[in-house]
Amino acid sequence: MSAFPDVTGLSLSGAGAVLNYNGLVQPDRVHASLYTSDAVYREELEQIFYKGWVYVGHESEIPAPGDFVRRNIGEEPVVLLRDRKGALQVLKNRCAHRGNLIVTKERGNTKNFACVYHGWVFNLNGQLLDVPYPNGFTRDRKDYGLEVLPLVESYRGFVFASFNPDAGSLDAHLGNGKQVLDRTVEMSPVGKVKLTAGWVKHKFYANWKMLPENDTDGYHVNFVHASFAKVLRSHYDESLLQSEDDMKSETIDWGNGHTELNLAPTYTKEMEWLGYPDASRFPAYVAALEEAHGHERAHEVLRAGPPHTVIFPNLFIAEMNVVMFEPRGPNECVQLHTPLLLEGVSDALNERILRQSEAAMGPSGFLLADDGIISERQQIALKAGRSWLDVSRGDARERTTEQGATIGHVTDETTNRGFWRHYKKVMTR
Amino acid sequence: MQLVSVEEQRQIEALLYKEARLADESRYAEWEELVDDDMYYWVPVGGLEVDTPQAISVIADNRKRLSSRVAQLKTGMRHAQLPASPLCRVLSNIEIEKLPEPSQAGAREYAVRANSILYEMRIQSTQTLEVWPARVEYKVRADAAGAWKLFFKKVMLVNGSEPLSTLGFLI
Repeated sequence: MSAFPDVTGLSLSGAGAVLNYNGLVQPDRVHASLYTSDAVYREELEQIFYKGWVYVGHESEIPAPGDFVRRNIGEEPVVLLRDRKGALQVLKNRCAHRGNLIVTKERGNTKNFACVYHGWVFNLNGQLLDVPYPNGFTRDRKDYGLEVLPLVESYRGFVFASFNPDAGSLDAHLGNGKQVLDRTVEMSPVGKVKLTAGWVKHKFYANWKMLPENDTDGYHVNFVHASFAKVLRSHYDESLLQSEDDMKSETIDWGNGHTELNLAPTYTKEMEWLGYPDASRFPAYVAALEEAHGHERAHEVLRAGPPHTVIFPNLFIAEMNVVMFEPRGPNECVQLHTPLLLEGVSDALNERILRQSEAAMGPSGFLLADDGIISERQQIALKAGRSWLDVSRGDARERTTEQGATIGHVTDETTNRGFWRHYKKVMTR
Repeated sequence: MQLVSVEEQRQIEALLYKEARLADESRYAEWEELVDDDMYYWVPVGGLEVDTPQAISVIADNRKRLSSRVAQLKTGMRHAQLPASPLCRVLSNIEIEKLPEPSQAGAREYAVRANSILYEMRIQSTQTLEVWPARVEYKVRADAAGAWKLFFKKVMLVNGSEPLSTLGFLI
């Protein structure tokens, strides 16, 4: 396992993870091999994606019994579904017999799952119902079901799961992340969002951790997105493109690896976050929010807008988008996005949200296309795995709140430090 | 289906080949001159049950957004295309149909189908070759004065529903 040279103090620790993450992840810098090493990547799959809670989908994607969507958790193909009784279920997408991929459609509705290889049939809870030519199969069918993930739980419609029965409660994992999801659904007057517009999948030839790190990095915006700022007026003009002292936005480390770029302190006008000078175009939305939240809270929601927050390890509430991260080896990852459509609002407002999503996100997005290329250049420069990345910016000027959050200047690496602090904790658990 | 004359076919193919060449050479301003004021430039994800406007697309530019896209490329700060990818696309299987009811008075309008295979060298990052195979639908018109422009281009990528690498050029 001595894949890396010198300085890192890499050694066989004997327990749990093999690599010395205390050496690789330091308070003010992280080692390049964390982005490039196959050994690190394999351990991340185990420690982060298979031992912890991960985001797997949204209830609005599977509204009716029998509805399912294919997903990946780490590199494990799974199916998120609603069973006959309406309960959420996550099954491994792999026949218990000879390992064939059972569900090949992205989404659909079904009464049961039939494997086309040898005809085994399973119900929506993974139980083996039928084995063709049964005389030759004398084993107990109870032992040959599809593997069921032991933990599946929804918070405000966002569904999380774990392969590990001892992963602890979702409540503990989300921690301060709960109020992020509360603020997300609060954008809807009926407290519900719907992820029904489909997904765009953007491939980065870069390590998956660059996605959560870059997505709540406020420092790069002035530089990477200069061309965007030059041709389009947007809410980022006020929130991120000012001089250092004038910037009011914040980086927040909520704990547990959940990190936020809080743009709200900059907004003075309502619906600025959707590119409007005020909310006058959507009077019905304003009235419905007032009805739902009361006048004062409704207008605070209209001003402050949605969160811009990563929920560790693979969910990003990107304002009016929901984003999932998928690791694909140390040198490749996929960022999937869908617009955060609201229940209880006009089609016109949802179409605006969708069109904004297309403008910003994905392989051709005015923003994300540039982020993708920068991440790939980082990956090239880090390839040898022999250098360090600095995450020290602003470590002397951040403050801690009563809820245990750490808040920094919008250009500070408070969010990176928050990500890596939690990373080290889970990689050494 | 209305058949088109050999002359019409030659003019339309010349327009599409020119559009392909200007896109290949990242000559953004000249490329934009080939599109009309009602241009819709669309790269759907594909494989979805729902269609626009309810479904997300990779690109769904009306004329205004397309102007912004071209303007962004022209800033010299669009990192996704700095430097611009060397591109080479081949158009084939061109089928042309005359539209019976043109949307502009005095114009002749045509629907065109083609297959396109585009090679991209990603010199701005990975320095690897990417292939973008697609079926393409165009709508083109000759105005009353006989000037040709595109007003619709839909690029249906064979791999549109799969993870796509950064697509910063004009496809």
